[in-house]
Amino acid sequence: MQHEFKFAGETVEVTVARDSERWHLGDLECQIMTDGRLKININGVGKFAHAAKVGDVWWVHLDGHVFCIEKTEPGSNSDAAEGGMVAPMPGKILEVLVEQGQSVASGDLLLVMEAMKMEHRIVANVDGVIAMMNLKEGDQVQQGDILVEISE
Amino acid sequence: MVSTVLVANRGEIACRILRACSEAGLNSIAIYANNDRESMFVELATTSVELVGQTIGETYLDQQQILAIAAEHGADAIHPGFGFLSERADFAKAVLDAGITWIGPSPLAIEMMGDKMTARKTMKAAGVPVIPGEEIDFEDETKMIEAIVQASTRVGYPLLLKASSGGGGKGMRKVENPDNLVESIKGARREAVAAFGDGRVYIERMLTGSKHVEIQILADTHGRVIHLGERECSVQRRHQKVFEESPCPLMTAELREKMGQAAVMAAKAVDYVGAGTVEFLLASTGEFFFLEMNTRIQVEHPVTEMVTGVDLVREQLRIAAGQPMSCGQLMMRGHAIEVRLYAEDATNNFLPAIGPLAVFRPPTGPGIRLDTGVREGDLVTPNYDPMLAKLIVWAPSRPEALQRMRRALDDFVVLGTTTNLRFLRELCDHEDVVSGNTDTTMIERVWPDGWSPQFSSDTLNAALMVAGVSESAGLHQVQSTITSADNGPQSPFQSLSRRYP
Repeated sequence: MQHEFKFAGETVEVTVARDSERWHLGDLECQIMTDGRLKININGVGKFAHAAKVGDVWWVHLDGHVFCIEKTEPGSNSDAAEGGMVAPMPGKILEVLVEQGQSVASGDLLLVMEAMKMEHRIVANVDGVIAMMNLKEGDQVQQGDILVEISE
Repeated sequence: MVSTVLVANRGEIACRILRACSEAGLNSIAIYANNDRESMFVELATTSVELVGQTIGETYLDQQQILAIAAEHGADAIHPGFGFLSERADFAKAVLDAGITWIGPSPLAIEMMGDKMTARKTMKAAGVPVIPGEEIDFEDETKMIEAIVQASTRVGYPLLLKASSGGGGKGMRKVENPDNLVESIKGARREAVAAFGDGRVYIERMLTGSKHVEIQILADTHGRVIHLGERECSVQRRHQKVFEESPCPLMTAELREKMGQAAVMAAKAVDYVGAGTVEFLLASTGEFFFLEMNTRIQVEHPVTEMVTGVDLVREQLRIAAGQPMSCGQLMMRGHAIEVRLYAEDATNNFLPAIGPLAVFRPPTGPGIRLDTGVREGDLVTPNYDPMLAKLIVWAPSRPEALQRMRRALDDFVVLGTTTNLRFLRELCDHEDVVSGNTDTTMIERVWPDGWSPQFSSDTLNAALMVAGVSESAGLHQVQSTITSADNGPQSPFQSLSRRYP
């Protein structure tokens, strides 16, 4: 089965094959334990991984590390979630400067939010039309929330 | 006598105190804000009462409301924990005036230690060494500037300006040379007025490369004042401790006795009662200087408990009930280390993070203790402090304690919310931590451009495979329910449900 993920800004294609109880990816082999953990062989050493999906993101704990791996749809344009169009941290919307349907140019100021007592300016990352904008002054947003969507 | 204790706090420390009450056979009352109604500490009390109000000021800091609940539910003692109202002399006094036992020192002791200039003067008079510096007795800005400029030539550079009512780095300024002095005095004063309504500022020499070493003390109402050895808490980020241990790796029996006696003198100087901590800076020369006294139980108290075997919170309860403390001759045994698990992004200037605790599996095994106020399935919100847990290990020696901590951190699984676990794990490998050569500037010195995790491509590839297999098999998902009709901010964490294969 083939999946497209995004990790640290890079798109990665992962193709895993199943052979009854075992899964394969190149030389790597793993199996799913009855408690939901995965046992994976790395250079001949068996390690146990925990995984949980929150929204579109797989959180994977392996060997003392945590990786956040986002599931993306092949060919989809998920650029809206890049370049400051998502809330960088939990905070409050101070100012809304655009409305749905409005044309904007890359670099235009769209929103001002306050988070951790600092002001953050959210600017357009592409030229286009505001496709989704339903925030108002005083709204609380969570880290990773999509603030504005722009269709090119 | 004490029979019912109201815990005026929340989260991890509320859990710690409520469990101690339960073990001591005391009734307990938890108070909680509406957004804490499903928090763990609420379940641990005999009685739980919801506070009316939205903000922290209207809930956990509302003295009148808390006193009314205490009266209505028959509390005969109040334990303030740390933070919130724990070092508010006016609250301690209001509690005593209401005929309720205050689990802590007298309002006068809190006040004398809370004002830093008063504390300095009291310590000097008691013969406790203070940081070279001068108190400035002027409130008027012009006179204050004049006095500080004169004092600066005697104190020397670099120096620190500190607000007398200060705390948490507010109203504090480092001054490297005379050019910036006047500007810095004005800045420190302005900040102090805004934060504390008190613009008094004093001056101290800046002691770089020092260790933060603090002495735990206990004092009962039968005239006994003892120290329980030291904790070293040098590793700090943004003035907050992240790694604490006992004993201090460079401590000698002789120095411990000297610092311990100084701490006991400090406590006696204010007729201290209960558990308290005297903080010192320990210079590389072996000289130590009084920094401040914390008139409450501290976050890092477990490391002292692990090496001395004394249950500090139980002793607080005993002392408050008028009994003598139960501990006899003390001996420090082995080595204990505590790390603070924060919901924060260590790769991004330690900014607080939020999210669901989709998986929360602490390590287990010999010599491991976890003090926490959260459990799997809880949400980490921006409402309160981002500290999720304290992981404490004990082992016969420091190298073994570090080995145990590394193992425990590797086994600690937290998914769904960004934490500093990996940062703490790599900290345990750093040569300065391994050698015990830590000072208060360590994190900025070692990671001046920020920290990022180190991992091999093998590990990353395996993690990607785990994501691929999990996706294919439809493993553990925390469902997000987002309805497009919802006009409010979209939260991916509105409901939690779980699916196993």
